[in-house]
Amino acid sequence: MNRLSFHQEPRLRGLILGAMAVLLSLAVTAPVLAAEASNWRPLASERLVKLPGAYIKKAIDQDFRGSPLATALGDVGTRIENKTQTLEDLRSAAERADGEARGELQQQFLAEKQAYIKLMGERQDLRRKKIKTRVRLYEALLRKMERRGEGASQAMETMAKNREAAKKRFADSAATVDMKLFNSSTATESKYAKEYAKNMAAIESLTAAINAHPMNAQPEFDGQPLSKQDYLRKQIAEGDSDLAVLDQEETILGYMAKLVALDAMALSEGLADDTLASGDNGEDLSSPASAIKFFITRN
Amino acid sequence: MTRTRTLTLAVAVVASLAATGVARAGTLENLERERAIMIETLLDPSLTAVERQGKIALSKNRLVDLERMVIRDKSLAGKNTPVVKKAFENYDLTFLVHASVEKNHSLMDHWLSQVGVSTKSVMDARVGRRW
Repeated sequence: MNRLSFHQEPRLRGLILGAMAVLLSLAVTAPVLAAEASNWRPLASERLVKLPGAYIKKAIDQDFRGSPLATALGDVGTRIENKTQTLEDLRSAAERADGEARGELQQQFLAEKQAYIKLMGERQDLRRKKIKTRVRLYEALLRKMERRGEGASQAMETMAKNREAAKKRFADSAATVDMKLFNSSTATESKYAKEYAKNMAAIESLTAAINAHPMNAQPEFDGQPLSKQDYLRKQIAEGDSDLAVLDQEETILGYMAKLVALDAMALSEGLADDTLASGDNGEDLSSPASAIKFFITRN
Repeated sequence: MTRTRTLTLAVAVVASLAATGVARAGTLENLERERAIMIETLLDPSLTAVERQGKIALSKNRLVDLERMVIRDKSLAGKNTPVVKKAFENYDLTFLVHASVEKNHSLMDHWLSQVGVSTKSVMDARVGRRW
């Protein structure tokens, strides 16, 4: 195989410089995407606030599915799948080839790896946008819910407490009062009391039906029912952990880009290793971690 | 023209009916009024014991219903008026009948103890100038 130097092969030079540029751009800033083509602007509407906890997430997911951001994510996902297939094909082809064809294929493989990293970077940015938008929406909903309970002054809170105490004391003594007051034959139950008792039975069955309604179902965590506020806080915490995982995946992409740059340099100096790792059997390659075999194998 | 006049008259009738506001006292106001009548009956020196008992029995039944209506009135929850605040600050004075039956006191004894009048305070009282 001819030894190619950095200065004599412009194509290789371009490849190496491109790899360095990808590495730098991943390390410093995220690529800027066309804003209009990948947007998702959900609103923290009153309708969302009023929905039962478990249905808030479903409504938000449905809104996301119809957004340009979801379309953009889908597009990038398809392109990544195609690129992954291309990488697989190139690697198999490079294994079987020899001589100058092998060198060409290796260069192509490097270029495709570079493009793959760029695509993964784009997808990371879109996913980050999605998660951040979702977290902001949950925070806005939570603020709206908390504002509904706020505004109660100290006096109102005291009043509410006194009222609750009065209701409790009344409820505890109502049966005793009924027995003592209406025990005698002279005192009979009033019309209000009879009608109230009749209506209470109807109210109780309606309340039971409302509580059993699927739209009223409370979200649960570990078998424990969660209030709407707690459910939103849990979703926000999950969003934050998703963002942390994304940060880690970006680190992986950074290392992949560095490996591509080193491979390009090695190829330009004619130090490529002839051995290749054995092929995989088509596992899921949607995350950076699952595609590392293309990068840790020197070819 | 006749049709127009009929229509105008109909609109005027509907508007006047809608504009007529009938003042309705709330549940708490009704309770306060009925309680005041009952206390007046309790303290009325011109009534005989039998007459007083009869009037108190009638008032008691009405008061029981009114007290329950106040406790069950959800519209009072958002009101922070002095009347509502005072009403719920002192359960024993507001819900006189329920509190007296709960403590096994007569209405008169219960009310007097709530306003701070006891045998001892009456016996300790003396005629004199208020400084």
